[in-house]
Amino acid sequence: MSVENLKAYIESGVLELYVLGDLSPEEALQVEEMAAQNPEVKAELSAIELAMEEYAMQNAVEPSAGVEAKLFEKLGFEAEQDTVYQSDTTTTEPKILRLDGSNGKVRTLRFALVACIALLVISTAALFITYNKLNDAHDQIASLNLDKQKFAGVVRRLEFDNKGLDNMVAMNDSKEWATIRMAGQAFSPKSKMNVYWNKNDKSVLINYVAMDLPKADAEHEYQLWALVNGKPVSLGVFGKSDSTNAEALQKMQTIQEAQAFAVTLEPMGGSVNPTMEKLTVMGGV
Amino acid sequence: MTALKKPSLTEAELVLALQSKDSAVLKTLYSMYSSALYGVITRIITHTELAEDVLQETFVKIWQSAENYDSTKGRLFTWMMNIARNLSIDKLRSKDFKNSLKNQDIENNVSFVDEQNKVTFNPDVLGVKQLVENLKPDLQSVLNLVYYKGYTHVEAAEKLDLPLGTVKTRIRLAIIELRRSFN
Repeated sequence: MSVENLKAYIESGVLELYVLGDLSPEEALQVEEMAAQNPEVKAELSAIELAMEEYAMQNAVEPSAGVEAKLFEKLGFEAEQDTVYQSDTTTTEPKILRLDGSNGKVRTLRFALVACIALLVISTAALFITYNKLNDAHDQIASLNLDKQKFAGVVRRLEFDNKGLDNMVAMNDSKEWATIRMAGQAFSPKSKMNVYWNKNDKSVLINYVAMDLPKADAEHEYQLWALVNGKPVSLGVFGKSDSTNAEALQKMQTIQEAQAFAVTLEPMGGSVNPTMEKLTVMGGV
Repeated sequence: MTALKKPSLTEAELVLALQSKDSAVLKTLYSMYSSALYGVITRIITHTELAEDVLQETFVKIWQSAENYDSTKGRLFTWMMNIARNLSIDKLRSKDFKNSLKNQDIENNVSFVDEQNKVTFNPDVLGVKQLVENLKPDLQSVLNLVYYKGYTHVEAAEKLDLPLGTVKTRIRLAIIELRRSFN
């Protein structure tokens, strides 16, 4: 294109219309081609653009603050802290929410505190009731224990008696055993006692069940004697009639022959010779 | 006139960030150019709410069609300004706009009528308006229609009952006057 034609093209005003966006797509394409081929056109276009830009800058009008916030909200960008432009509704709403939130939290905490206190009271009451019941239970256990011990004592006693009676029955039935009944003497007329003497091995047994002697005091115990040809021979000492020995039967010393048996009350450990004043029971074979 | 103390990047940086969909750049772009673009829009659409709607739409379109911008064809601002102008003109001719004219609130009506009669005093604009008013009346009327009212040069030619060529020449002369005054 000649210089004259180029000048005419520039002066036609088509470049201004291009910058103003006032050309059809075909015309715009032509301008772009011309600018690409001719530096003068390109320079002129740039000058027009700069002028319009400068003109727009100097005619700038600040839009209201809400537009930016709405724009970025619409585009889904996060509203950053430094974005101070917000509409009235969007600035007051979060405030209300924040206040609501903290109020709600305080209210929730208050409810929680009341609930805690209520729970504490209930727990204390329950604990007190439980403690009382536990005490009752302890008392019951203690009294039951006492009862149990009592019953156990009774049962032990009954077993002891039963065993003694069994032995007595067995000995009575047997031909081996001779039963010597000793009767109360002047010292204790109401007393009585049996002695069992085996005819074969000559052993001597007494049965606590089959005796009724007065209770001996702590310093005395009973001593069994056999009278052999008029002489007393000690067969050993035995405890009180209500002895706590598990065995109802007690084995005494054996004696080959005897005409009679007797029991005297002697000091603990027994004596060499019987104390005749305290002869309790006696019976002949 | 207006001292613009705003964050600024070079155009190349802006374009690169915009086309790589860096959302932070839109904030920068907004702070650098929103008032310039709003100046363009609000002269075509005097109704504040609608003008602000168009400004918002403009930035949405800038964001969404950033890849269409070709720096070999012109400056970024020219591209953005044309988006703003086209959206403004579309709005001006839409049903929305015509309805909004009918449904003006009474409170808004006074200022709206004032705006229609162009008696607002925007201190930012006063100097330039004087400059435009200093133009010869025939240049002034063309620039008024094309720049302030969003007319195409064809419409302006019809309105002023002038040949197309004359309108084009007058637009060029008016812009040359502007260039001269900025230099």
